[in-house]
Amino acid sequence: MILGLSVTALGIIVALPILFVLLQSIFPHLADGSLRGPFSTVVSALSDARLPEMLFGTISLGICVALGCLVVALPLAILRGLTDLPAATLWDVLFLIPFMIPPYVGAFAWVMALQPGGFTTQLFGLNGGGFLFSFAGVVAVMVLHLFPVVYFALSRTLAVVGSRFADVGRVCGASQLYAFGRITLPLSVPALAGSLLLVFALTIEEYGTPATLGRQSGLIVLVTGIEERFAEWPIDLPGAALMAVMLMALALAAFFLQRWLVERRSTVVVAGKYGQSPLILLGRWKIPAILFFVSIAVLAIGGPIASIVATSVSRTLSGGLAWDNFGLQHFATVLNNRTGAMDALMNSLWLAAAAALGAGLLGALASYIAVRSTLRGRSVVDALSVLPNAVPGMVLAVGLILAWNRSWWPFPVYNTPIVLLFAYICILLPYPVRYVGAALRQIGPNLDAAARVSGAGMGLTLWRILLPLIAPNLLVATLLVFAIASRELVASVMLAPSGMKTVATFVFNQFAQGSPGVGMALSVLAIFSSTAILVVLARVSQTSLDG
Amino acid sequence: MKHSDTIGAIVAGIAVAVGAVLFWTGVAAAQSVTVYTAGPQGLAEALSKGFTAKSGAKVNLFQGTTGQVMARLAAENANPQCDVLISASWDTAIDLKAKGDLLAYSSPNAKNVPDNLKDAAYVAQGAAALAIVWNSKTGKPKPADWADLAKPDYKDAVTMPDPAASGSAYGLVSGLVANKDLGWKFFEGLKTNGTVVAGANAAALNPVMQGAKSAVFGAVDYISIEAKQQGEAIEVIYPKTGTVLEARPMMILKSSKNVDNAKKFIDYVLSDEGQKLVADVYLLPSRTDIAAKRPGWKDIKLLPADASASAQKRSETLAQFKTVMGVK
Repeated sequence: MILGLSVTALGIIVALPILFVLLQSIFPHLADGSLRGPFSTVVSALSDARLPEMLFGTISLGICVALGCLVVALPLAILRGLTDLPAATLWDVLFLIPFMIPPYVGAFAWVMALQPGGFTTQLFGLNGGGFLFSFAGVVAVMVLHLFPVVYFALSRTLAVVGSRFADVGRVCGASQLYAFGRITLPLSVPALAGSLLLVFALTIEEYGTPATLGRQSGLIVLVTGIEERFAEWPIDLPGAALMAVMLMALALAAFFLQRWLVERRSTVVVAGKYGQSPLILLGRWKIPAILFFVSIAVLAIGGPIASIVATSVSRTLSGGLAWDNFGLQHFATVLNNRTGAMDALMNSLWLAAAAALGAGLLGALASYIAVRSTLRGRSVVDALSVLPNAVPGMVLAVGLILAWNRSWWPFPVYNTPIVLLFAYICILLPYPVRYVGAALRQIGPNLDAAARVSGAGMGLTLWRILLPLIAPNLLVATLLVFAIASRELVASVMLAPSGMKTVATFVFNQFAQGSPGVGMALSVLAIFSSTAILVVLARVSQTSLDG
Repeated sequence: MKHSDTIGAIVAGIAVAVGAVLFWTGVAAAQSVTVYTAGPQGLAEALSKGFTAKSGAKVNLFQGTTGQVMARLAAENANPQCDVLISASWDTAIDLKAKGDLLAYSSPNAKNVPDNLKDAAYVAQGAAALAIVWNSKTGKPKPADWADLAKPDYKDAVTMPDPAASGSAYGLVSGLVANKDLGWKFFEGLKTNGTVVAGANAAALNPVMQGAKSAVFGAVDYISIEAKQQGEAIEVIYPKTGTVLEARPMMILKSSKNVDNAKKFIDYVLSDEGQKLVADVYLLPSRTDIAAKRPGWKDIKLLPADASASAQKRSETLAQFKTVMGVK
C-alpha cells in the first residue's frame, strides 16, 4: 500500500516530466501536439561544432568541483564527526549558509568583490578578476558553494561509524592512523561516494555560476548551451531536450560508478542499539582545528555575504565603498512591498516548506524501496531518484509544461502553485534519497527482521525502528531541501503561475534591470530569514531527537 | 485502525489541495486576459493595474526576459495560455507573423504611431535606443562615437551585450556592419582592443557601473537613464554615426480565447494613460504625440535599417560576429 503510493508519486513527479523531455528530444514537434518527423533534428543538434568542447567542459568542471569539495570537506568532516571540536552545532549552522546563498547571487557577489574596481580593489588594492574569470576561479566559487554537501553527509556518517569500530582495531593493536585509514574511512565510503555524486550532478546541472563567470573565463558547458537554445530566437526545444538527455546520461554514468564502488562490500555498522561513540580529544590541536574552520567559513560565507551586504547598502554602484554612499533605500524599496518583494519572500518560504515536507517523505520512502525492499524494479527507483539532479531546471520546467499543460487532465496543475511544488520536489528529491540511503545502508537488516518477527507490520517497523535511526540524516536532507527550494531560480522563472513571484525571480529581475542593490537587499532578507527558520527547526528537532 | 486514520487524513488533504487549485483557476478563468511580457517589471505591473481599474478584467501577468517568455510560449504550444505577447525584439513579431500565429488587429489608438513601428498584426508598446554608456569616474575621455571605443584610450575598457542574447544588440551589429565606413573591420578593431562580449544587457552594464570597465558599447538606454537618475556616475551618449531603436512589439495570438479583452488591453497600452506609464520608465512612447521623459524622436540619429532583411540574415551575421569577436 505505502510502497504502491510512493512508486506512483515518484512516477508522477519524476518520471513523467523526464519522459516528456525524452519524447521532446525524439519528436521535435511534440510541443505543438504532433509526433511527426521523429529524430529529424538529432543530426543537426549533434553536429554543433562546440559540442565536444561543451562535453569536455562539463565533465572536467564536474570532476574538479567534486575533488575540490573532497579536499575541503574531508578534514572538516573528520574533525566534526570524530573529535571534541568546540561549538560543533555552530559550524553545522554556519555551513548551511552557503546553500542559502543562491548560486547566481553568490557568483555575482564574487564578481562585485573581485573584479577590477570591485570591493577588494577598493579596500586592499587587490584585483582578483584574473583569477575569478578563469577555469580555476569557476571551480573555486562552486567548491565554496557546494562543499557542505560532502561535509554534512560525511560528518554524520563518521559520527555514526564513530570511533567504536576503530577502537576495536586499536584494541587489536592498530595505530590510530591505521585504524582510521583501514576501518573508519572505508566504512564511510557510501556516504562519501553518494555525496560526491551529488556534487558532480549538481555541478554539471548548475546554471548560475557558469552563466555569470563562464563567458569571461572561456568556459562553455552543456547547461549554458541548453540555455542558449532557449534564450536565442528562434527557440530550439528539441535541441535543448537532446542536450539535456546527454546531461542525464552523464549523471547516470556517475550514478552507476558510485553504486559499483559502494556495493562491492557490506558497510553495515548499526546492528543493535545506536549508541553515542566516545570522541577523540583534540587537546593542543584544538586551536589549529578552530582556525581551519574559521578560515573556511570566512572564505565561503564571509566573502560572498560581505559583498552582498555591501552592494545592498550602497546607494550607487559607481559610488563605491564610501560613507556618503551608504544608504538603506534599497531595503526600504523591498520592505514597502510596492514592487511585491515581500510577497515574493512569503511565497518562497511556504513553497520551500511544502517542498521540504514532500521531498522528505517521498525521498525516505524511495530510498527505503531502493535499499531495503525486494521489489523487482528497486534499482529503477534508485536511478529515477538521482536523475532530476542531472536535468537542468529549465529543461525540467519544459518537461513539466509539456506534461501538465494539457486539456485532458481532470484538474489543472499547470499555471497553479502545485506545478512549482512538483518541480521543487522533483529537483530536490536526490538529497533525501542520497542522505537517507547512506544511513539505511549502515543499518543491519536483522533490525527490521526482528521487528517483523515480533509482529510489527511494515508501517510500524518503518515508524518505530528505521525512522529514528535515519532521523538525523533525514533532518539534514529536508533542511537542505528547504534551503535550496527557497531560492530556486530557473524552474521558478518558467513555471511560476502568472502573477506569482518568488525570491529568485524577483532578484533575477532586479539584476536584469540594472538595480542590483534592490536584488541584493531582498537576498539579504531571504538568506537571513531562511537561516533563522532553519536554526529554529534544527534546535526543536534536535531536542526531540535527543529526548 | 491507525492505518485507516492515516489514509483518511491523506485523502482529506488531497481533497483540500484539489479544492484550492480549482478555486485558484476559477478565479483566473473569470473575465481576464493573459499577458506575457518582456521588459521592465514595474511597467508591466502598472499597465495591468491600470487596465483592471479601467475595464474590470483581471490581468494574468507573466514577466521575464524575451528568451524566457518565448521559451514558455513555445513549450505551451499544445495548449496555449497567452493572449497578448509583448516582446523586446522586433524579430520575434516578424517570425510569429510569418508562422501565421498572430491575429491581425489595428488599434484605433495607434494613429499616432509611426509607420515603421506598426504592422497589421503588431504594434510597438514603446521603444528604447542603444547608446554608449560611459562611467565618468574612470578617467577615460568622454566618447562621442562608436569608433572612439576602438581607440587605444579604451584598451580593455569596453563591454558589449551579446547580440545572440539581446535582440537590440543584434540590431546594432547588423546596422553597423551594413555601414560601409565601419563594417566587420570595425568589429575586428574592437576585438583587438580587448572588448568583452558579456551576455545580456545587465551583464554588460554592471562592470561599467562598478568601474571595472569604462563604457558599454550598445547599452539599452532606458535602464541606464534610470540608473543615472538614481545617482550612478554614468552618462548616456548617442553616437554621431547613429544608432538603432529597440521597439517592443505587442501582438495578439491567434490561439487567444479572450480576443475582446486582448484588443482592449492593446488599446489601453496605446491610450494617453498607458503611454504615459510607458514614458514613466524612461522608454520612448510609441505615440509621437506623448511627451517622452528622455531624449525623444528628434534627438537621436538612427542608422538606416531594414528590419526584414536583417531578420533574414540573422544566423549568418551572428555566426560571423562570434568568429570575429572570438565568442564561444
